[in-house]
Amino acid sequence: MSGTHSDADTDEANGASADANGASADANGATDGDADALHAEDLALGYPSTDEPVVETDRVDVPAGEVTALVGPNGSGKSTLLKAMAKQLDPDAGRVVLDGENVANYGTKEFAREVGLLSQENDAPGSATVEDLVYHGRYPHRSFFGAVTGADDAAVDRAIDLAGIDHLRDAPVSDLSGGQKQLAWIAMTLAQDTDVLLLDEPTTYLDLHHQLRVMEVVRELNEEADVTVAVVLHDIAQAARFADNIIAMRDGEVYDWGPPRTVVTEALLADVFDVVASVDADAPDGPTVHPHHPVR
Amino acid sequence: MSESPSEASGSSSDASGGPRASPDATAPTDPAGGSGTAARDRLASLTARIDGTLASVVFASLAVVGVGGLIQVSFGTYSMTVFEAWRAVVDPAVWSHPGLLGEFFLGETLGGLLAAQFGWATEVELAHPTLIVWTVRLPRVLVAVLVGANLAISGAIFQAVTRNELASPYILGVSSGAGLAILLTLVVFSGMSAFLPIFAALGGTVAFLIVYAIAWKGGTSPVRLVLAGVIVGTVFQSLQTGLFFFADDLGVVQSAIAWTTGSLTGTDWEQVRLALPWTVIALGFALAGSRQLNVLLLGERTARSLGMSVERVRFALSGVAILAAAAAIAVAGIVGFVGLIVPHVVRTLVGSDYRRLVVGCAFVGPALLVGADVGARLAMDPVQIPVGIVTGLVGGPYFLYLMRRQDDLGDL
Repeated sequence: MSGTHSDADTDEANGASADANGASADANGATDGDADALHAEDLALGYPSTDEPVVETDRVDVPAGEVTALVGPNGSGKSTLLKAMAKQLDPDAGRVVLDGENVANYGTKEFAREVGLLSQENDAPGSATVEDLVYHGRYPHRSFFGAVTGADDAAVDRAIDLAGIDHLRDAPVSDLSGGQKQLAWIAMTLAQDTDVLLLDEPTTYLDLHHQLRVMEVVRELNEEADVTVAVVLHDIAQAARFADNIIAMRDGEVYDWGPPRTVVTEALLADVFDVVASVDADAPDGPTVHPHHPVR
Repeated sequence: MSESPSEASGSSSDASGGPRASPDATAPTDPAGGSGTAARDRLASLTARIDGTLASVVFASLAVVGVGGLIQVSFGTYSMTVFEAWRAVVDPAVWSHPGLLGEFFLGETLGGLLAAQFGWATEVELAHPTLIVWTVRLPRVLVAVLVGANLAISGAIFQAVTRNELASPYILGVSSGAGLAILLTLVVFSGMSAFLPIFAALGGTVAFLIVYAIAWKGGTSPVRLVLAGVIVGTVFQSLQTGLFFFADDLGVVQSAIAWTTGSLTGTDWEQVRLALPWTVIALGFALAGSRQLNVLLLGERTARSLGMSVERVRFALSGVAILAAAAAIAVAGIVGFVGLIVPHVVRTLVGSDYRRLVVGCAFVGPALLVGADVGARLAMDPVQIPVGIVTGLVGGPYFLYLMRRQDDLGDL
């Protein structure tokens, strides 16, 4: 990460909501000089099949060295936004900036060495083992005909270790349970050895044990390797517990932005999720959410 | 997916010694001591086993090619025993004369030039059996080897590119394009029939490019490619069938059928020389691209997020597959089923890793085609049937067997 973001703080003043900016300034002051790893400006995102943009935002920040969760109901555009940040979807307008450079200017491999993405649904072919799969994570670091180097081996070992799946190393991916599969895919993304990691609903469809395992790996990666994480989460309670920042989306727009304690409120749950809930903002592990019934 | 029962049982017996975790016991803290080395050992045994499987596949294929080839060279109007045939194949009179081999494999011009350069003799007195084997019967076996390898590799690549196990070298319009070119040459431009092999290969390539252009809409996808292949195939097939009505004599029709079903009748050293360089190139690229094929199998999204330029890689790999298919078509016409079945067989045996799959295909393809050509040439002696008919007769029932045995046939 370079320190070339002297203008980032002034940019941020144009951000979406006033309290969010204050909070992010605090957070940034607490870590280091970098304002953000990844941010989006005046973004309009759509698909070929849609006339209207699916997502329209003024400014979205993913602060460096922190875990940012994107939350919102189905169809709120959180996955679409993540895709744009992962350079998988070209914006209709606006731009996504990584380390001061428009992501459109990155080469595909170059970008994949900076930003890793784990998509929502993945399937591995037949007999590939966990290790085979994780080695594919080294793709952006290898030339077209390049052989495996010691650095590749080390990165694969580290990724498998970090994901805690040493004992599954030689098992065919197709034989694993859903949760184990997800950990194997995460290990593949970790082997990419990127500064930024984007995860699209990594815990959906997993049992509770594996949900926690996945979030623990993400936390560990963030704390020990200082990897910037943006993760789409289905579960607002989980987001409140694990994330440093929350971006709440509604109808393709950013509804609120900031640390969980300021963002996760009863008003947010009513406005964004159409749920009547009580929020205990002072709980030690971050705000806890008790949903009662849908808004009628 | 294509998990064979033997493989599943193998991996469980492998693990019995080590701290094998039951599917759900993913304790985050493994007993640190020894689990790493146990994992390594397991890995070593796994690699050994799979390489062992691949080695036996290669060995068995070579055996089939050897036996089939010997049968081919020993039977015919001038019959000899298998032993005599073997003696003719390994006749030192041939092998000790590089000039002669040069003429066979490189042609009179290039081989002659080389022989003149090094002072090798090209006029060698050969025994009668040796002469028959080397000038008439052996080239046909070699062409079968090359065609089989090309079709198998081409099919394997197309199955990855389209992510469909039912893909064949002909899925993207190649066969119908080549077929149309063959019919056009035979019926309309009969004066140019000397160029028919080239036209057939070109026709297939052009059809493939049309398919790609139709499927392209800011990028392609496996499904759109296959659909475009069906569209182009349907139109070209109709034109091809229509042209049969304008064929004025039976000879032309028979020749057209031989080409469009695939036949090795009358193949000679010229065909070996035509196909060999392209086979070598295609095989080299396929081996080099096997890791790309593996990543492509993870799905387009994952491949792209790993930094692959998916469209470019997909087109380049399709190009390699077309090159292989075109080389096969140019010497043998449109032999069906080989490119569909062989990757299947190999996948069931050695797994879906393309680093092994491509190698396996390069051996099993020749085995199937050499074997099938024995049937094509000798089953209805003295009438020779196109080898494509035999591969179809073998391929259909095999697919039926696969369909009954495997529930999730199709997806890759």
